[in-house]
Amino acid sequence: MTATATTRTEQQQPEPSRTHAVVDWLKRQYALYILIVLLIIASISSKAFLTQTNLTNLLLQMSIIGVVVMAELIVVLTGGIDISVGSALGLAAVLSAGVFSGSSVLLALLVALVVGGAIGMVNGWLVSFRGLEPFIVTLGMLALARGLVYAYGQGIPVIPEDAVTFAQIGQTTLLGIPVLALIWIVVVLLIGFLLTRTVWGRRVYAIGSNKEAARSSGIPVRATLWSVYILAGLLVGLGGWMFICRFASGTAAAGNLMELEAIAAVVIGGARLSGGHGTVFGAVVGTIIFQVIANLLSLLNVSTFLQDAFRGALILIAVTLATVQLKRRRAPSTAPATH
Amino acid sequence: MSTVEHDGKAASHRAPGELAFKATGVRKYYPGVKALDGVDLEGYAGEVLAICGANGAGKSTFAKLLAGVQTPTDGEIRVTGYPHPVRNAAEAEQAGVLMMHQEPLIIDDFTVGENVWLYKLRQGKDIRPWARKVDTNSEETRRVLREMGLAHLHTNQFARDLGPGQRQMLSLSRALVTEHKIMILDETTASTSEEHFNDILELVDREKKAGTSIIFVSHRLNEVFAMCDRIAVLRNGTLVKVLTAAETNADEITTLMIGQALKALARPAPAQTSGKDPVLSVRDLHGGAAKGVSFDIKPGEIVGMYGLVGSGRSSVARSITGQRKAAAGTITVHGDQVHLNSPRAALHKRIAYVTEDRRLEGFVNDFDNGQNMSLVVLPRMAKVGVVQAGVEKARVRELIREYQVKGGPRTYTSSLSGGNQQKVVVAKWIEAEPDFIVLDEPTKGIDVGARANIYEIIHSLAARGKGVVVVSSEAEELLSLCHRILVMRNGQIAGEFDPEHADTDDLIRTALTHQD
Repeated sequence: MTATATTRTEQQQPEPSRTHAVVDWLKRQYALYILIVLLIIASISSKAFLTQTNLTNLLLQMSIIGVVVMAELIVVLTGGIDISVGSALGLAAVLSAGVFSGSSVLLALLVALVVGGAIGMVNGWLVSFRGLEPFIVTLGMLALARGLVYAYGQGIPVIPEDAVTFAQIGQTTLLGIPVLALIWIVVVLLIGFLLTRTVWGRRVYAIGSNKEAARSSGIPVRATLWSVYILAGLLVGLGGWMFICRFASGTAAAGNLMELEAIAAVVIGGARLSGGHGTVFGAVVGTIIFQVIANLLSLLNVSTFLQDAFRGALILIAVTLATVQLKRRRAPSTAPATH
Repeated sequence: MSTVEHDGKAASHRAPGELAFKATGVRKYYPGVKALDGVDLEGYAGEVLAICGANGAGKSTFAKLLAGVQTPTDGEIRVTGYPHPVRNAAEAEQAGVLMMHQEPLIIDDFTVGENVWLYKLRQGKDIRPWARKVDTNSEETRRVLREMGLAHLHTNQFARDLGPGQRQMLSLSRALVTEHKIMILDETTASTSEEHFNDILELVDREKKAGTSIIFVSHRLNEVFAMCDRIAVLRNGTLVKVLTAAETNADEITTLMIGQALKALARPAPAQTSGKDPVLSVRDLHGGAAKGVSFDIKPGEIVGMYGLVGSGRSSVARSITGQRKAAAGTITVHGDQVHLNSPRAALHKRIAYVTEDRRLEGFVNDFDNGQNMSLVVLPRMAKVGVVQAGVEKARVRELIREYQVKGGPRTYTSSLSGGNQQKVVVAKWIEAEPDFIVLDEPTKGIDVGARANIYEIIHSLAARGKGVVVVSSEAEELLSLCHRILVMRNGQIAGEFDPEHADTDDLIRTALTHQD
């Protein structure tokens, strides 16, 4: 295209400098500021908050939901939603504890991944190849999986034979960090890498932002969508196995209402429910905010019933803030979409 | 609602020449952009005022400010008969400003009739929720449709089934049933084809007689000259000059718009096609509006495809690029028969399609220029699925320079003007190195400067031996751009022309003539 290169008339806009980019990025981190304020409030209002035991506990609490949040994030980025994550996690948990009598930790992990992956496959197939609404598909799956959890456990917690080893994994720490938290961190890094550095990740954002443009650009939309749901399922399965490690038993309520927390964390982290916009970093911040609040409320001896109300209120506040953010972003700017 | 006038002349009668609106020192700044920088402009009753300018000159911004959709940063716009400057859309409506948007406001799930009367749902003086709904299936509605050249539509038909031209006309029909003193046509003709243009002309003429002040925002100069009395030219947010249409010509306006004389568009170098095998052959293609279409495209050839909306030209363009499945017929690429079930399949056969609808199919809204340009070829810039950021960045930088895209690799494509967006989309496809490329309305909604860029790109594609098909509603554009023009009518090819020996009249006549 040498012909056009020679008739260069329009001015090239200078690219924004690095400092400008950092300032720009900082301007958009609402969730991060909420978190910092929250941490300050927590440290002041409760002496117990900054203790080693509490922080370890907090980390453990975060790891399982943290993995589920990553699953929710990739689905939300495509413009979908997965409200079956909690039930799927419950089913993966009880089956991994119960099948093969829970005699081997690794076998249990395999079972959990197969269960989660299978659920993701069904969800994803219905959404991508049958063109059904993700909400209704996963709503059905929510009821189905939860029903199977009840049916399998008959109301009694499923305790794996090798409960001791499970519990050991749940309690082991490496350099002061619980193994479960390390798993969470690895998952976060993996998803972050996939989303920002790979062709697959770029496709996920493209599909979420503009499915038609993605299709027309030769992106395998349906296959990519399917893979997103399968990956989400695998992560939820992993979460189920982590659940057994932490509690050494699979209860009927395992993962109950986890979809609520996962969706909320993703949205608080700045992801857009219609897809195409959101980051791993934001989702992690969202996860931490949510768990710190829960932790703080327990430390302050707020009744469990009120705790739920607090969390609900937080979601409303956070999404309201997110709309303020969006309005600002609508102005033309040179801001990164995937960082 | 009592304001419905049954003579159909909803525009209020006023003496021609009376001041209708007056803008003084209007400025509009967006973060980092001065869209308008101090504009003084007046409009008069019974007059058509054109606002011309290249993309990004601020003409749409001015229209939005007048309609109250946006508020000026500084300065004011006063509408005669309204006590204070208009501050928002509701006030503008009360002042009698009727805005016809570039993208027609049509509710897909409403019927044609309900869409005609849509503005009656606005909260006016009558806020009783139990107020009687307008009968959307009345003789009145049918009359309105007839006047807009939409007589063939049923009032009970859903609006979602309409084509882009029909949607635009439907939205314009509201001018007949909504009271107004000022009517703004914001690039309203951009999505209509030449067949509807006469209906628009009639509408404007009627409005003019009724004493409406009409503002026509456009950069299609032939249309501007066909309907306007005065022409205001904007460039980079400032008013360059206001001219009387009768005393100027398209060349002068163009020069004012781009600030320099535009060199005449060069004809493409003649294609050396004799003896070469076609890159693409289509035989008896059916699907959509296409009913048995056959043609060959040779390498290095630019073939124009002209036709009215609904003539099947878009169906053909989409079928041969995998955007839609052909119902019957064969398509051969380099002599091999292919089944193009998806754009992806077409891409594998090195076929590219530059869409007519940039916003919907052209680029990804949340992506920056770099991400959009590399979208199609990303796998090539990756190793085992991992994007090589350095490779991508370097290539994107080159592309932005090559195609003269405004803004850097990190600028959101959605924040650019139509012309620059189109350059991004075209660059994205040419990056995929197609052997055959279809450009559907490649200069739709694009200013003169960018237009010349796009033409140059198309010429250089042909010079490199690619087969190019350009679909367009503008006969003139095809005549100056192509080696050969196919005219479609009723789903079939009605004629083939050599641009050297044909003029716009030939093309339009062939496209319009009804078959016996």
